[in-house]
Amino acid sequence: MNLILKNARIIDPDRNIDTIGDIGVENAVIADPGKVSNAKVIDLSGKVLTPGFIDVHVHLRQPGNTTAETIASGTAAAAAGGFTSVVAMPNTSPAADTAGAIEFLRQTAARTGVVRVLPCGCMTKNYAGQEMAGIGSLKSAGVVALSDDGKCIQDHALMRHVVEYAKSFELPILDHCEDNFLAAGGVMNEGKWSVLLGMNGMTGAAEELMIARNIILARQFQWPIHMQHVSVKESVELIRKARAEGIMVTGEATPHHLSLTDDCIKTYDTNYKMNPPLRSEEDRQALLQAVADGTITAIATDHAPHTVTAKLVEFDHAPFGIIGLETALGVTFTELVASGMMKLSEYVKRLTTGPADILRMKNYNLAEGNAADITIFDPEAEYVIDPATFKSKSRNTPFGGKKVRGRNVMTIVGGNVVYEYGK
Amino acid sequence: MINGTKLFSAEEISTAVAKIADAIGADFTGSFDDCALVGIHQQGVPLAEMICEELKKKYGSAPLVGKLDISMYRDDIGNRKRLPAIRETDIPFDVNGSSIILVDDVLSTGRTIRAALDALTDYGRAGLIRLAVLVDRGEPEFPIRADYVGLCTTAPADRKIVVRFEEDGDPGIYAVNWENHNL
Amino acid sequence: MEWTRKDLLSLYDLEAEEIECILDTAAEFKKVSERQVKKVPALRGKTVVNFFVEPSTRTRVSFELAEQRLSADVVNMQAQASSLLKGETLLDTVKNIEALQVDLVVMRHSATGAQAFIASKLKCGVINAGDGAHSHPTQALLDIFTIREKKGGVKGLNVTILGDILHSRVARSNMWGLLKLGANVTLAGPSTLVPREFESIPGVRVCHNLKDAVANADVVNLLRIQHERQTAGFFPGTGEYARFFGINSDSLKMMKPDVMIMHPGPINRDVELAGEVADGSNSVILEQVTNGLAVRMAVLFLVAGCVKK
Repeated sequence: MNLILKNARIIDPDRNIDTIGDIGVENAVIADPGKVSNAKVIDLSGKVLTPGFIDVHVHLRQPGNTTAETIASGTAAAAAGGFTSVVAMPNTSPAADTAGAIEFLRQTAARTGVVRVLPCGCMTKNYAGQEMAGIGSLKSAGVVALSDDGKCIQDHALMRHVVEYAKSFELPILDHCEDNFLAAGGVMNEGKWSVLLGMNGMTGAAEELMIARNIILARQFQWPIHMQHVSVKESVELIRKARAEGIMVTGEATPHHLSLTDDCIKTYDTNYKMNPPLRSEEDRQALLQAVADGTITAIATDHAPHTVTAKLVEFDHAPFGIIGLETALGVTFTELVASGMMKLSEYVKRLTTGPADILRMKNYNLAEGNAADITIFDPEAEYVIDPATFKSKSRNTPFGGKKVRGRNVMTIVGGNVVYEYGK
Repeated sequence: MINGTKLFSAEEISTAVAKIADAIGADFTGSFDDCALVGIHQQGVPLAEMICEELKKKYGSAPLVGKLDISMYRDDIGNRKRLPAIRETDIPFDVNGSSIILVDDVLSTGRTIRAALDALTDYGRAGLIRLAVLVDRGEPEFPIRADYVGLCTTAPADRKIVVRFEEDGDPGIYAVNWENHNL
Repeated sequence: MEWTRKDLLSLYDLEAEEIECILDTAAEFKKVSERQVKKVPALRGKTVVNFFVEPSTRTRVSFELAEQRLSADVVNMQAQASSLLKGETLLDTVKNIEALQVDLVVMRHSATGAQAFIASKLKCGVINAGDGAHSHPTQALLDIFTIREKKGGVKGLNVTILGDILHSRVARSNMWGLLKLGANVTLAGPSTLVPREFESIPGVRVCHNLKDAVANADVVNLLRIQHERQTAGFFPGTGEYARFFGINSDSLKMMKPDVMIMHPGPINRDVELAGEVADGSNSVILEQVTNGLAVRMAVLFLVAGCVKK
């Protein structure tokens, strides 16, 4: 269906546009609203219209754990959250470390997906950090990036070779930065609360160390390395300094690291268990600042579905991770924009052009002729998060009952309205 | 000051104690070998001492005196509102085969005495157990009767009968509201 | 005061007067333990399950004896956390126990918060017999009971807890209980085993030097040094530990003459504590064991009274 989207506040960071206006959608692409025929006209007064949000860090769990999530349910959750593209992490079972696995993902996404699924391949076979995966074949099969997310290659020489090799195939690297020796056995942040609760801590140094390594490799091989879910202040400082020196590194922050701290764990609620763990308030403030000042260029959810059964166990035994696609906008808008920390137009970059740059996508904007991937949200809507309304198959969120501001009202992918609030 | 109706005076208590001692003395013909008084906490303990003193005065000898805490043996232990205070149990003799006179201040429902029989039985097989009470309310809920009774009275169900000896101040026997009872 | 909790999970949760209520009740139960007949029918008809998802001998025996002295029906269950993981979940296991009309579950578990997690989902009472390195309330209560009995009170005393604080639930529970009752707490031992983060708690001093740690102490509570910490690289060996942090007759000379030496057991003789001190006149180690019984009777009794039928 053709659309004329009227009176929205259009924020299109790539073209430096922030204005009230109209946008047309015709034959799946963006068109001149004055020339669109047979269009449904939607008045969007008071709403914000942006290029579709991109989440560079999502676990869709298919194949392997379809009880927790499927490509269908995960992408429906993405649509509800305002994301038009998601990067599917390859740590499925079996892992997405071969062209065949990527082909399965692409076909299943084409058949059942609601939003665009951008495949990501493993850096090493079965993301075990031992042998390099068939990176060239993965590229041919259509991956947009490489990642061993969930694990981190400990062998620095192997990582070096992966970076060098990935460069020749022009694949950006998304790295989960964690030193296994320093983080060994940890279930939460090492700090005051781990000490009081007597739980095994994961020191922030485990992340900092690998971020430092990655900065060295990015500098040495002149190839971008993206640091996933940055969680500690010291990591932020390293990235800030490296970027100032022109080294090709980027970082992402998750909604939970921007809004929660490790003291939450005193309730033993396993929905506060994730890796990297919730850190201290000082770390949280540093992350908020880094997102605000552009040191961190992307907000990514690390959407990690787990069944109720998997999470309804002792804290030590619970799996890491929480879902985030359907709460990301409300939680981060509240922390960053409603709080006055950053301007709305700058915030939109962290969900659009920031992630697009990480994936080396060009011209991610609302120019006529571009694919009509659009997100429309209400910056004034205040509401209480209700997990019962989620499209995700899982409910492992710590945000149920939290009052937030900023709600996605419409998600358009390739000209199709894939989500509309209240419909 | 105790908040209640005074039923008996301190003098009446003394007379009653003497009466109990006389009856016990008569039954045991003044010979108290293998015989013991066991006071039930709280007011049965001083009462047993008083009876013992009386017997000593009269016969020159007296039975041994023991103390029994029955709080853990109460049949309302599972649905009490307030925790019972646990007190000392001291049975300084071999229960097996001996003659024991349980001593308590008030015989009301009989439940305390039932608990005391349980508690005492844990210590052995007594040859004989008798019961002495200062006041008998005459409305037992259990088939339990006293062998030696100092005084008899009746009181409405919402009243508790409270005995206070010299050392408690305001000695006498009172009927008080259950709610106000805080002895 | 009136006890109102159906669970005893940690001393951190309790008010000072609740701790005192347990200690006072324990003092009464200690008298019961001194009677010729030590068994009372206070929990007759109640069923208690001792569910230990981590091996224990002392604590389990102490609880079991306490339950038997109160005339409860007792069932012991032993399980490995690892086998639980593979089969039934912990919650399913305890729900099954509860379905057998059990009144109380005494539980030990290797994971912090495991008891708090299940207590919130059960109607029966839950007593924490140790969770991870987090909490061991009855051990701390018996330690504090012993201190109170011997020293006449807790307020204002200097209590040093010495050893592997990082991995010790005994240390954490003692710390909270002692602080609530007004003691000054020193946590001492090698720097790898005594995190500085404890200093953020008012009333707590962290100390990495034996002499400073014990010089002003009224009580020194020693913790068992676990061999596995050595293999994990926290300290070089038991010999070096004994030399710098062990208590022997020489280090006793640095202390007040009436210092009380405590140890939750089992003792590594001549590692954290020299035999001559363990058996000496300053040691109250065996009295701790005796008091443990009274404290556990008190806890069982109080908690059982709050379980809804």
